[in-house]
Amino acid sequence: MKSDLSIPTKASPPSELRAVSSLAWRAFVQAFRTNATAAVGAVLFMIIVVLAVAAPWIAPYDPISQDMIVRMEGPSMAHWLGTDYFGRDTLSRLLYGARYSLVIGLLSIVIAVAVGTVIGLTAGYFGGRLDIVIMQVMDVVLAFPALILGLILVAMLGPTMMNIVFAIAFTAIPPFARIARAPVIALREREFVQAGKALGFSNLRIMFRHLLPNILPDILVMASLWMATAVRTEASLAFIGLGIAPPTPTWGGMVREGFENILDNPSLAIFPSLAVLILVLALNLLGDGLRDAIDPKLRTEP
Amino acid sequence: MTLKPAILSSLVLGTLLSATALNAQTLRVAVPGSDMGTLDPYRASATLDINVVNWLFNGLVRIKPGQISPEMIEPDLAESWTTSSDGKTWTFKLRDGVQCQGGYGALTADDVVYSLKRAANKDTSSFYAEYAAFDTITASDPKTVTITLKETVPSMLGLLVPYHGGNIVCQKAVEALGAEFARKPIGTGPFEFVEYRPQQYVKLKANEAYFRGAPKIKEILFRYIQSDSSRDLAFQSGEIDLINGRFEDSWVKRMAQIPNTKVDILGPLEIHNIHLNMTQKPLDDLRVRQAIAHAIDRDAIVKFRGTSISKAAESVIPGGYLGFAPIPLLKYDPAAAKKLLAEAGYPNGITIKSIQTTLPAMLTTMQVVQSQLRAVGVNLEFTLVDHPTFHSQIRQDLSQLVYYGAARFPVADTFLTQFFDSTSIVGKPSAVTNFSHCDVADDEIKSARTAGDIEKQKALWVDAQKKIADKVCAIPLYEMGQPWAWTQKLVFDYPVKGSLNLSPPIDETTQLRN
Amino acid sequence: MTAFIIKRLGFAVVTLFAVLSLVFFIVRILPGDPAMVILGDQASAASIAALRQKLGLDQPLLVQYLNFLVGAIRGDWGVSMVSGRPVIGEVLSVLPSTIELTLVSLFLGVILGVPAGVWAAVNRNRIPDVVTRIVSLLGLSAPAFVSGIVLLLIFAIALQWFPVISSGQDTSFSGRLRDLALPAVNLALIMAAYVTRVTRSAMLEVLGQDYVRTARAKGVPAGVVIWRHAMRNCLIPVITVIGLYLGILIGNSVLTEIVFNRPGLGKLIVGALTQRDYTMLQGMIVIYTLIVVLVNLITDLAYGLVDPRVQYR
Repeated sequence: MKSDLSIPTKASPPSELRAVSSLAWRAFVQAFRTNATAAVGAVLFMIIVVLAVAAPWIAPYDPISQDMIVRMEGPSMAHWLGTDYFGRDTLSRLLYGARYSLVIGLLSIVIAVAVGTVIGLTAGYFGGRLDIVIMQVMDVVLAFPALILGLILVAMLGPTMMNIVFAIAFTAIPPFARIARAPVIALREREFVQAGKALGFSNLRIMFRHLLPNILPDILVMASLWMATAVRTEASLAFIGLGIAPPTPTWGGMVREGFENILDNPSLAIFPSLAVLILVLALNLLGDGLRDAIDPKLRTEP
Repeated sequence: MTLKPAILSSLVLGTLLSATALNAQTLRVAVPGSDMGTLDPYRASATLDINVVNWLFNGLVRIKPGQISPEMIEPDLAESWTTSSDGKTWTFKLRDGVQCQGGYGALTADDVVYSLKRAANKDTSSFYAEYAAFDTITASDPKTVTITLKETVPSMLGLLVPYHGGNIVCQKAVEALGAEFARKPIGTGPFEFVEYRPQQYVKLKANEAYFRGAPKIKEILFRYIQSDSSRDLAFQSGEIDLINGRFEDSWVKRMAQIPNTKVDILGPLEIHNIHLNMTQKPLDDLRVRQAIAHAIDRDAIVKFRGTSISKAAESVIPGGYLGFAPIPLLKYDPAAAKKLLAEAGYPNGITIKSIQTTLPAMLTTMQVVQSQLRAVGVNLEFTLVDHPTFHSQIRQDLSQLVYYGAARFPVADTFLTQFFDSTSIVGKPSAVTNFSHCDVADDEIKSARTAGDIEKQKALWVDAQKKIADKVCAIPLYEMGQPWAWTQKLVFDYPVKGSLNLSPPIDETTQLRN
Repeated sequence: MTAFIIKRLGFAVVTLFAVLSLVFFIVRILPGDPAMVILGDQASAASIAALRQKLGLDQPLLVQYLNFLVGAIRGDWGVSMVSGRPVIGEVLSVLPSTIELTLVSLFLGVILGVPAGVWAAVNRNRIPDVVTRIVSLLGLSAPAFVSGIVLLLIFAIALQWFPVISSGQDTSFSGRLRDLALPAVNLALIMAAYVTRVTRSAMLEVLGQDYVRTARAKGVPAGVVIWRHAMRNCLIPVITVIGLYLGILIGNSVLTEIVFNRPGLGKLIVGALTQRDYTMLQGMIVIYTLIVVLVNLITDLAYGLVDPRVQYR
């Protein structure tokens, strides 16, 4: 539908853009040398990953063993972050939960970004009828409120982790398709694309080697934000109907369970929310850093 | 910083606005749940629906307000009644001066006949089966109703109290309103229906022409507030006067700390049982069922739910029901459980699949049970589904183990029939809620219905409970009442033990003091 | 431009048809049964079967589908299976309250998010950047039901400025505003977070461009450069995101509506889903589709407003 629009944008020399695409990796490395933001993000993220992987060795308690004597207690020496509704150790559940939530958040968004970007890129690049049909299909999916669609999918498929990943990814594909498509429509008329065509480059090569690097910065910024949305969606699905079956610890599930008793002990909902915040902050710093690193206009700035 | 504008704007607003003054005679009630289902008394079975029906209708007789025992029946619409010597013909004399709400005229014997026929008809009533023994219902004059029975029933008067099919409607109103009646009910009770706003509230007003006198409370606003925390906060901030709470000890304790608040657990009790499907492996083996019963620590579950709102179950039916007797149940004994499992040929434990609703109060209990069973090598696997799917799938016989909590009319017969009589086995056309495929007490349940003599009936019901427990059709967990809290401005004229319709009895005598 | 709008509306009809067919089948594949919901947990299997027949649910799916299509074309969206009320009436009765909530939170999100994003971009990698980053991510990290309760605890219980029950029934303007404040802020937190991030990103890109540097070199005051020249060029990505999230905002308002007890589309559709009210779900999805189509159209038209070079073909 948007193919009817053309948005002329500012010109920048195609030579530089091409240079960027070939130098992408070096830019990534560069980013960490010069960009403290990205470095902080990367370190934070690595810490979370290491904690998640090491959970079985460092968690003080079994994350699913219940202790009815110490229910809903605040932080103490024995339980650093307190205990939940079933007397389970919150810290241990957070550590184990990181494993599931990382998978849910990362995997669903990676899928959504990959599929959404390819769809948006294809629609924007080829334009015409193909564009109309593709975006029409995306609009059909967008017409369902994301939570409702997610709930319907999970209700049909069953609330296993992979199904929840699939449901979240599915609802996030159309937004990423739209985000990717909008700039491509403007870019495809530009000299460097036309030049590529004249040189006989294949469509695939133009799309992935020349167009993709140009839209990647915006997508990365969005993707880091959607990670938070993915983890939140898991909690929200549980709130209005279906989450992952207990006793599996996930951060979203913990937020939701904590919410049940938020008036009795607010920390039950706050600690997992903070964990989500730290993860999203790490990814966002990383995303912004990478974005700054690969954006040609900013790279040369101090 | 995103909060700053909120603070600013509210500073501005705060000076502009004063709290909206509400009519002090409006009783504001909040219950959990998202919406009303139906207010047709012959269809309403959800707690939040019968709560409202409670204040709209009368029966021929009623249980003394505030009480729940079927042995405390007193006149309501009927001022007197007589019974034939064989107990099969009942004649009721109606009182004078009963008006239908909404200007539908005086209530006559024809309305009563119409009502009871409607209650016994399977196309208009969800409770028709309970009236199967009714043979004829006739009005010999505008003040007299005669009911003849095919056979005597366990608690004839119990079927005529304002609960489920016993509510009396006005014929003209039902006929005039058609399907709308379910959302615009007309009765003879102390309060009459005014307005329904989907997913928000039902508004009732005092029935000034109520035959026992005009109610002191002039309006009831019955709100559906889905989020537990929001509902509690609304009560705390004084926006709600009467609140149906959470099935949690912590809720009772927290509410009790709010100044000028009375917290109470109202009857009748609901029993929570685990039904084991006796036709499926490995649960078809009695030893496996006994092992599971031995693995469950009833007292620990009661402690988990809270001793202020629950107590350990003592039979397969709730305590206090007519015909209930405490019977010996298998004790918590993990060692015995393991031994029985080994004897049954499962030394390495078993895996049982159970369809489980996501309703928090139910899911949390089962998480404790899951943890207890794990200790003896029983791996209870949950297939988590949303609540409507749960209700539909357990009735399709898809779950090996069904956890179900229920309160029924407090006579043993109703509960035993719906949960343990073979006619109610899920999958049959006559199915109700027999999830275990239990058929061990059919004879006792059947003979008790027609035994006539109450002592004989009671003995048969006790035998039935024992047999069901012996064969471990179901494992009783705990009994629980309805947690309610109200501001002390709300004053009842009599002690409130409970109400069949699970909401406090608000009637002409109830006051809301300033 | 008129031709453009007509063409777009033509496509909308196709989208609508596809969405309708999809929703018709998926709600019926879902386990769960409206008849069961209507009759309650003590109904016998026989009465449930009888009601299914009455509701027409025992007919073959294709027959049901054709009947539904014929009705839909005639403009008859049927009555709710559970409440028996006309679907359109039910939807229209809560629509204003959802639109009101969405627009106000959108407005709040933009007036908070855009300046915050600009502030962050101008001070890249300095304190303001860090502050806006953490605050905006805070809004994203807690689900709306948690942030909603936190708002209630602060502003309705501790400070007592606003009611807990924001029913939106008050007819006076000030009363409506009072009811709207907390839910709108709660929803705006998410919107503001997205807008902040996008504005920062777009502003950084524009600030690096030649004309901005030239303007600065010529001594044009920084404020003028940013708000008059650079901002114009940031608007397209910001509008894209607003358009995209407006639809999502309407869909996600359900959590806010539940916590604050506001009537609205979100609450209605979750209710319809949990009751398996097929007809209601179908009607509601139509409304959502129309909203998405309309928002997309407005977004595209807005591009033209902020950038005269955009052409409608």
